[in-house]
Amino acid sequence: MDLAVALRLASDSMEASPETIFVEAVCRPYLLNAQNADGGWGFHPGSQSRVESTCWALQTLVDSFSPETPQSVTRGLQFLRAAQLPDGSWPSTPEEKVGCWVTSLACCVLVADKHSSKAVAAGLRWLCRDWPQDSTPWRRFLARLSSQEQVAPMNNALRGWGWTPRTSSWVEPTSFALLALRQCREDLLPPAAMRRRKLAEGMLYDRMCPGGGWNCGNPRVYGVAGEPLVVPTAWALLALRDHPERPENRMSLAWLENNIRNIYGAGSLALARICLEAYARGWPASAPALHDFYRENEFLQNIQVTAWACLASSARRHWLTAAAGRVA
Amino acid sequence: MRDRTLIPSFQRPPSNVMIRRATNYEQDLASLLYESLCEFSLSMKRKTVLLKPNLVGLDPLGVMNTHPAVIAAARECFLRLGASQVLIGDGPAMDRDTEAIIESVRLREYTGPLAHTFVDLNVDDVERVRLKTHASRLQELYLPKTALGVDFLVSMPKLKTHHWAGVTLSLKNMFGIVPGSCYGWPKNVLHWAGIDRAILDINAAARPDFAIVDGIVGMEGNGPIQGTPKSSGVLVFGNDPVAVDATCCRVMGLIPERVKYLHRAGTLLGHLKPEKIQQLGDDIGGVRTPFAVLETFRTMAEKTDGLE
Repeated sequence: MDLAVALRLASDSMEASPETIFVEAVCRPYLLNAQNADGGWGFHPGSQSRVESTCWALQTLVDSFSPETPQSVTRGLQFLRAAQLPDGSWPSTPEEKVGCWVTSLACCVLVADKHSSKAVAAGLRWLCRDWPQDSTPWRRFLARLSSQEQVAPMNNALRGWGWTPRTSSWVEPTSFALLALRQCREDLLPPAAMRRRKLAEGMLYDRMCPGGGWNCGNPRVYGVAGEPLVVPTAWALLALRDHPERPENRMSLAWLENNIRNIYGAGSLALARICLEAYARGWPASAPALHDFYRENEFLQNIQVTAWACLASSARRHWLTAAAGRVA
Repeated sequence: MRDRTLIPSFQRPPSNVMIRRATNYEQDLASLLYESLCEFSLSMKRKTVLLKPNLVGLDPLGVMNTHPAVIAAARECFLRLGASQVLIGDGPAMDRDTEAIIESVRLREYTGPLAHTFVDLNVDDVERVRLKTHASRLQELYLPKTALGVDFLVSMPKLKTHHWAGVTLSLKNMFGIVPGSCYGWPKNVLHWAGIDRAILDINAAARPDFAIVDGIVGMEGNGPIQGTPKSSGVLVFGNDPVAVDATCCRVMGLIPERVKYLHRAGTLLGHLKPEKIQQLGDDIGGVRTPFAVLETFRTMAEKTDGLE
C-alpha cells in the first residue's frame, strides 16, 4: 500500500502518533503478509525462510501478541524449532549443517514459548560450549610473538562469541549471546553460563572505542582509533544494561544520543531508539522519523529492519526482559 | 545466467585494459564511460547486469567508497548499451546497516530510487557453491543468488591500498558478495581461511566479467577505511579483473607480482604480465601516481629511481 494512503486511512481511525500509525498501517501488515508457507520469513517478501529474519519477525509478533496473530506465531515457532540442528544450534540458512550466532536469537525468541524449553536449553548449552579460537592460550602465545598485538591491541584473554564457530570474538554476536543468557530462566542455563557472561562482558568493555560506542570489534587498528557505529553500539549497550552506572555505558550512551541526528538508516534509527529507551533515556522529538526513511527506500524491503521498526515503536519491550511462557 | 566455467590464464586470450583520465566527479562521466565501453564491443542486449561497487562504510565525505557519480554513470551506460536491467549490489563487511551506507554517500541522489534497484547482498537469498580452486581451506561458500544469477557482473572498486591484503581492487572487492547473513560483519571466516587465498576462491566461484575502477580519488596508506585520500585522476576498465588490477598497481607505483593474491591470480584467473595485456587509452607512465603503503607492504612499492 502507498505510504501516504496508508497513513491517511490509519490516522482517520486511530488516535496515535504518526510513528505508531505508520507501524500499524504499514510495517505490521507487511510482516504478516511476508510469512512464507513453511512458517518462516526471508529477509525480503517472497525470499527463502531464514532463521535470523524469522526470529525478528516473530519477536515482533510475540511482543505485541494480538488476537489476529496466534496462527502466524505458532507457525513461526514451528519453523524455528524444526530448524534447530541436533547439536542444539541453529544455522543461518536451513540448508547449512553448522550452527552459528543466530542460535542466540532463536533462544531469545523461543524462551517466550513454554513448549520450547528443551530447545532453548540445548541452544544455550551449545552457546556455552562454543569458544572462539583466537583466544586459546596457544593462539595468545603466538600472538605475543607476532606483530598482531601492536597492530590491533586487545585483551584476548577476554572471550566472547564469534559469528561462526571457532573464529574470533566480535561485538554483535557476543551481545546477542549475552542477551540470550540474560533473558532465559536460570534452570535452563548451563553451569558455564556465569563464567561466560563475565568474560564476555569484559570483552565488550575491552573492545569499546576510545570515545565510547562500539564498532564490529576493532577499537584501534595501526594506532588509529576505530569509529563507533550505531548498530553494534546499541546491541552492546543492551547486553550491558545491568551496569548502567559504569562510565563506559554512560560514555557510549552519550555518543549514541549525540549521533541520533546523523543516523542515515532505518535499522540504526530503530535500534538506537530501543536502546536509549531501555536505559530510560527520552527519545528526542527532533529525531528523524522512521516513516521518512521508509518513504525514501522502503527500508530496502528488508523484513528485519521492518521488524526492528515495529519493536522500536512498541511500548511493551517484553522481549528485552526475562519472559518465559508468554506464548500459550 | 553467466558461464561459471573456470578457464586458467594460459588458455585465455590477451586482455584489454583501458585507462582514461578523469580529474573530478563533476565532469560528464557517463559520456566518458560510454565512449570507453564501446571500444570493448560488449554485447549487452537484454542482459541483466549487476554493478558491484565497493561500499565499506559510512562515508559522507566520499573518500572510502566507490563514488556514486561513477556508479550512476556506469548504470546509465549499460542501459544505453541495451541491458534490460542494471542492478547495484553490495554486502558491506563492517556495518550491517547497508541503507545507512548508501544514504551517507548520497547514492540515491545520483541514481534515483533504490528500493527496487539496489540489492543488499548481505541479506540476499543464497545458494551453496562448491569451490573449484581450494586455494583456501574453505570447501564451499553460500553466495547470493543475485550475484550468481545475473548475466553480467561488474566489479567497481575504488583504487585503494589495504592494510591486510596490500591493495583492494576488483578482485578483493568481490569479498563484498559473501553474505554477512551467513558469515557475519565482518566476514571473519574469510580471514581465518586466509585473505589472499579466499580472494582467489571467491573470484574463481564468481569471476567478474568486467571491472571499472574509480581512481579519480583513491586512498593510500592505512586503507581501506582509515587511509589518506589520494587524487589519481583516472578510471581503469577492462574485461579481465586480474589485468585491470595489475594495471592499477602499476598506476599506483606498486609491483603487482608482489601482491600475494594477484601473483597467484595471474596463473588462475587472468593475465598479470604486461605482454598479455593490451593497454588502451592513456599510458600507464603518463598517469602513474605513487601510493604510500604501510611498512608491512614496503616490498610491493617500486623503487623511486624507476627500477623494479
